Amino acid sequence: MRSAIGAHQDLSSAGVLAIIGLAASLAVAGCHDAQAQAAQSEPSSTTASSAAGPAVSVEPRAKLLPTFPCSSCHQHLKPNPEKRELKEFHTVRNKELHHGDSAAWCYQCHSMANIDRLVIARGDLVTFDEAFLLCGSCHGDKLRDWKLAIHGKTMGHWRGDKIKRSCTGCHNPHAPKFPAIEPEAAPWPPTGMKAH
Amino acid sequence: MTGRDDDQHEGGCGDARSQRRDALVQLRLSKHDSRRDFLKGIAVAGAAIAGGAGCADEHFQKHYKELTDEDKRHVFQRIEQETRAKTGVRVKISDPQPLDGVQFAYALDLSLCNGNRRCAEACARENNLPDEPRFRYIQVLQMERGTVDLERGEHYYEPEKVPQPGKVYLPVQCHHCEKPACIKVCPVGATWREPDGIVVVDYDWCIGCRYCMAACPYFGRRFNFAEPAIRPNRINPEQGYLSNRLRRAGVVEKCTFCLQRTRTGRYPACLEACPTGARKFGDLSDPESEIRVMLERKRVFVLKEDLGTIPRFYYFYT
Ligand code: SF4
Ligand code: SF4
Repeated sequence: MRSAIGAHQDLSSAGVLAIIGLAASLAVAGCHDAQAQAAQSEPSSTTASSAAGPAVSVEPRAKLLPTFPCSSCHQHLKPNPEKRELKEFHTVRNKELHHGDSAAWCYQCHSMANIDRLVIARGDLVTFDEAFLLCGSCHGDKLRDWKLAIHGKTMGHWRGDKIKRSCTGCHNPHAPKFPAIEPEAAPWPPTGMKAH
Repeated sequence: MTGRDDDQHEGGCGDARSQRRDALVQLRLSKHDSRRDFLKGIAVAGAAIAGGAGCADEHFQKHYKELTDEDKRHVFQRIEQETRAKTGVRVKISDPQPLDGVQFAYALDLSLCNGNRRCAEACARENNLPDEPRFRYIQVLQMERGTVDLERGEHYYEPEKVPQPGKVYLPVQCHHCEKPACIKVCPVGATWREPDGIVVVDYDWCIGCRYCMAACPYFGRRFNFAEPAIRPNRINPEQGYLSNRLRRAGVVEKCTFCLQRTRTGRYPACLEACPTGARKFGDLSDPESEIRVMLERKRVFVLKEDLGTIPRFYYFYT
């Protein structure tokens, strides 16, 4: 608590922009560190609860995917790592693929050896429900913040059981930028802060 | 569109209420604020109505802090019955108490907020805000990227999609200040800070003078100019006495950190509704809590810090 108060007490409102800059540079500087950390941390199970304490669960993903398991088709196909235009299947994915540099391609994240698994940067296979480990293998800073519930959506109880949304529950992994959405209606009548 | 609108609904009770209000204001303004004067004030106003028998109960209702458990049972039952008669909805009035040692605080990640107002809408549903007028406890300000100028923030923006290029968004609601300006100015003690840090209003004690609204630097409070109209099928039947029970015209209301939810361990409605995960909530006195972990790792700021209100509502960037 003290540090929280300390943190805001030495900031004037005019210093806000400075904070943005600082936060941004910290995030960048901390990135590699965090990446290493993330890669070393053991794969967390989907439920992490202490013996008696409340449970923190991660929303499962695989069962929400209409075409999962991928192997139901892919077992009949030979993996082709070549980047090309997909004409029969996954055409939408192909079109929308907008993640990282233009080199991004299926087998960077999907395992060629086991199409029902994802492959993280250091080569390990993880399930679709553990997609956060894959995302975190590049976005270490975000994974660290997500594990601490600083980044990401948590539902349920602040005291008691929690449900965390995995990265791919909010971000389309093929086009991860959060899309623009329609806002709810503006309030009425206009008696807001400006009028106040 | 005045507080008088509700008089019709109350079958003559409102007259008495407005007289009580006047009497109370005068009393408070002219005299000191001992509890005894207060009761005298009520008696004066009470004497002014001739035979408002059906309303006597409500009329002489005590301040929340003076209610015994027995009183509460009666009062809650009466409210439940009245709500049933008026709206047809079976509601349950509860009064969850502050949790031992808990100090609530809220934080909002401004780098994620995209101004979609899902929070404000979920808040309205959870807390039984009227369909008409459509005011909201949460006000989302749209500002030019690179600025945090509250006074020039636009909160009636209505583009097709958000975020708009070049804009940033900053939601504001009651900051549950540690030193709340609103409480100091209330002439009748109708608003106070609970032990867990939640600032509440006793809707049956508020006289609608709106001093608190003028005092609040964050535009955290709203006034019911008209009888709040809410469709029965939109009423949330789980109602806290100090939070989301139905209000009447002529009283002030505001965010209560959803105490009917949060005092039972749940997250506030706005937090769960936010599609970007920008909202964080928890116990400031627990070093392991999400909010503490965030505070220890991120630089945070509060609005209008120089006023010394010490908000329990932090903003941060990731
Ligand atoms: S934000 Fe305004 S209404 Fe809320 S506690 Fe502070 S001064 Fe009072
Ligand atoms: S309007 Fe505000 S200041 Fe006036 S009685 Fe109600 S809570 Fe108190």
